[in-house]
Amino acid sequence: MVPFDVFFANLPYLLRGALVTLQIGAIGVVGGTLAGFALGVAGAMAGRAVRALVAVYVFIVRGVPILVWMFMGYFGLPLLGARLGGFLAVNIVLVAYTAAFVCEIVRGAILAVPRGQIEAARSLGMTGGGILRLVILPQAVRESLPPLVNNSVMIVKQSAYVSIVGVWELSYAAREVVERTMAPFSIFIGVMFLYFLICYPIAMSAQCLEKRYARGHAQKE
Amino acid sequence: MSAANLRFLHDQLPAFSTAAGLTVVLAVLSMVCAMAWGLMLAAPAMSRRAWLRYPATAYIELMRNTPLLIQIYVIYFGFPLIGLNYSSFTCGVIGIAAQHGAFLAEIYRAGIQSIDRRQGEAAHALGMTRVLAMRLVILPQALARVTPMLTNQLIVLLKDTSLLASIGVLEMTLTAKMIIERTGASFQVFVLVALAYLAMTSALGLLARALELRQARRR
Repeated sequence: MVPFDVFFANLPYLLRGALVTLQIGAIGVVGGTLAGFALGVAGAMAGRAVRALVAVYVFIVRGVPILVWMFMGYFGLPLLGARLGGFLAVNIVLVAYTAAFVCEIVRGAILAVPRGQIEAARSLGMTGGGILRLVILPQAVRESLPPLVNNSVMIVKQSAYVSIVGVWELSYAAREVVERTMAPFSIFIGVMFLYFLICYPIAMSAQCLEKRYARGHAQKE
Repeated sequence: MSAANLRFLHDQLPAFSTAAGLTVVLAVLSMVCAMAWGLMLAAPAMSRRAWLRYPATAYIELMRNTPLLIQIYVIYFGFPLIGLNYSSFTCGVIGIAAQHGAFLAEIYRAGIQSIDRRQGEAAHALGMTRVLAMRLVILPQALARVTPMLTNQLIVLLKDTSLLASIGVLEMTLTAKMIIERTGASFQVFVLVALAYLAMTSALGLLARALELRQARRR
């Protein structure tokens, strides 16, 4: 049996790391969702040039591992004259990376709104801003909410990768504790459960949302 | 980029091509293992017997809701304690297959459950065993239906091989980091790496697209 007393002895230290993980995750979720929403609306509704730019951004960002972006941000952003700490640099990367994924979710949800509704709104005399705010967004937000919540799980998991470029959080703390105690099994498995405690409730709520919305759809038809 | 920069990058190309090759080998090997492991997980996860279903779903949920990095650490740093001394390469493949197998199992399951139950019953009526019906009737249709999700997952897997940099596998990401540490070069090395990854994921994406088109035509 794995002796988990080592894990519990170091739990206070690990929990401080978990707090930083939550912080990074919150920055990624809030920042990434806001930026991604703007990108998604632009990617679905703006002029052709802007739509193409958004598509290129999404293609480049999603085609490269986030770890590579983190290294680039960590080594590269300071060279551009920005005097950032590593913490800020990786958070900027996490937000920019998340934004590309959120953009695709939101764009898909907007494009899923039937065109006939937009034409109907226009024939009622509504203008672009009003159509977006009153017709498209309410449906698109509802449609994209479950995948967006699911996306947050991915963000929390990816926040662990900042430890590889040298930012201190739960995973980094776990490696420190393992180096000190030489108990990789109990520490890493324990830390795995700490991550699970953060991620699983989020995944569950995404599933609940999905079920609730699926029921709403069924009633409508 | 100046001429000196280009010259520097050119000098790093041999090391890069080796590393890129390793990334491809890692990805292909992990894909095969993950797809097989996913199938082996999907069966008990859909079983009617609770003693099979609960452990399988518990494993899948645990894998899906924890970072791959920590899973790799458990394997790489933990396995030697129980007498399993695998190379970092092997540990990496096991780690990636362990997580992505769980994701793939969920995708398989979604595909299998989307096939009409009566098809299985019809196959049974024709005298097929459950395994045979699954292999010949259900699974081919299920896989065709979830091909987009499946290939998407494999692209994520390809990108996830970069995480093995953390346990010392000399694939592209770690190679780039070491070049920077050794030569004091700036982050432009990572631009090269990013382009290489972009090429690989795009190639896989195009392959997936071609596969989908072929399936659509066949239907």
